[in-house]
Amino acid sequence: MKKVYCQIEKCLACRSCELACAAAHSESKDIVGALQEKEMPRSRVRVEFIDEKGTLQRVRAVAVQCRHCEEPLCEQACISGGIHRDEETGDIVVRLDKCVGCWSCIMVCPVGAIVKNENMHQALKCDFCPDLETPACIVACPTGALVYCEPEEMAKEQL
Amino acid sequence: MNILIIGNSAAGTAAIESIRKHDRQSSITQLSDEAQPLYSRCLLTYYLSGSIDREKLLYREEGFHKKMGVDLHTGPGFRVVDLNPAQRRVTCDNGRTFYYDKLLIATGASPKVPDNLPFDKGIFVLRHLADVEEIKQYLRDVGAKRAVVSGGGLVGIKSAAALNECGLHTTLAISSQQVLSQVLDYDAAQIIGRQLRENNIEILQPAGITEIISRDNRLKGVKTDQGRELDCDVLIVAKGVAPNVRLAKAAGIGVRRGIVIDSFMQTDHENIYAAGDVAEAFDMAIEDYTINALWTCAVQQGRIAGLNMAGKKTSYNDIISMNSFNVYDISIISFGVTSPKDESEYSVLTLNQAERNIYKKIVIDRDNHIKGIILLGKIASAGVLLSLIQRRVDVSVFKDELLSDKFNYGTLVKYGVEKE
Repeated sequence: MKKVYCQIEKCLACRSCELACAAAHSESKDIVGALQEKEMPRSRVRVEFIDEKGTLQRVRAVAVQCRHCEEPLCEQACISGGIHRDEETGDIVVRLDKCVGCWSCIMVCPVGAIVKNENMHQALKCDFCPDLETPACIVACPTGALVYCEPEEMAKEQL
Repeated sequence: MNILIIGNSAAGTAAIESIRKHDRQSSITQLSDEAQPLYSRCLLTYYLSGSIDREKLLYREEGFHKKMGVDLHTGPGFRVVDLNPAQRRVTCDNGRTFYYDKLLIATGASPKVPDNLPFDKGIFVLRHLADVEEIKQYLRDVGAKRAVVSGGGLVGIKSAAALNECGLHTTLAISSQQVLSQVLDYDAAQIIGRQLRENNIEILQPAGITEIISRDNRLKGVKTDQGRELDCDVLIVAKGVAPNVRLAKAAGIGVRRGIVIDSFMQTDHENIYAAGDVAEAFDMAIEDYTINALWTCAVQQGRIAGLNMAGKKTSYNDIISMNSFNVYDISIISFGVTSPKDESEYSVLTLNQAERNIYKKIVIDRDNHIKGIILLGKIASAGVLLSLIQRRVDVSVFKDELLSDKFNYGTLVKYGVEKE
């Protein structure tokens, strides 16, 4: 299945992916509109700094989001049965109607890809933007650091 | 092959799912004395408070067992009363017998109650869905106004908060010096204690319930060992659980406190596995055998047992206690050894901002491996830290960054623990 990958050497830490993600998961689907919504939209991707020293161009960073793991610890830890693998797409999905906000998924996610929506007591994470043809973060990334592809393609790219 | 599973909760379900990933052929039979659909025990206090409805308790979708090809038998009649390993046979209370090639004992645990606890109306434990249904009914029937919860563990605290949310004046009686003594250290527990009090839960500590006051077999109040008398309509006894080992013991399977299992979740009998609250397994943090009566641990053990029963030989050495819960608006996650007996054996990092409801603690052993963690108020990096524990990463180089809010997956990339 296709996944989102971040090529560290191309990431500028510009955080365009975060903005695009938050907007894509808002009511208005637009960052200006989203900022005026009652519920502040949350990004499900987070730019994490690897080296903070040096000028902006020298900053190394990685955009972290759900890896849709083969053996998802979040699915195993979920006490409500609200995290599962979609049988058609193979994606790991949070069923928000089941989630109680116990944060057992945050407890076990090895990359820290799950964010809290505190007001709603719901766990949020990357869903590959099911309404869009390409996930919003991929479209927004100005350097092509973020790619959406099969794992094999990613391996080829690195060679 | 005939696989038999005793128990229908976290461990049993995880076993079914992992067996079926590799084996669609073998027959799976599952027995449970609980005549309820498969529900999540951890959500029972949410149901008690009314924050979720009964439907939301269901742990898997309707038709799960059918889809998984499981022959499920539930109800009091299907309580297993005899296990004969030589014949590979179990016998139920209703006389039905089942034969197996491989057996998983996931019989769970039962609440500990004092021997002299009377059977008066208004006194409850909180373990099963049936318990909560009874409590809810009783609260309505008597128009309950005041509640006492005995026990400051997770079940005690969650029950007290739930009853408080139902509008009852709630008192929590704790026999130790702090709440959550199995999970948190003293300083973190102080924050939680204050949080409970600020939300109008009265805490008596150290206080044990010594006497039940009842009229016409109905609870009217309790007396504490401090001589205090508390009026109450309902008492929930939450003094921990004891593993349901009787069946295994009688069958000659190795039992200490729980059924002893190895890293394959196998007992000392070939083809007999155990998992969940009934099992005593090696814990990587305390470096000894223990029972971790926790949902997530039960799932892991059940999953590994299932793999081995399906012939996928898998060893698992990463069992560690883990808890994630909320006390009102404070989120808490803890792992492993959080208050070591001899702190000089460890290097202990702490960040105490009690006034802001933030507390972090990381316990590191002499080999620079993390053995225990408390994250209170700020939990974002919990899973990343857990991965360091379970992979036994030497953290000496980036120790100074572990407590920082900036510590995350990126930090692991920086130090080469993760390669992107």
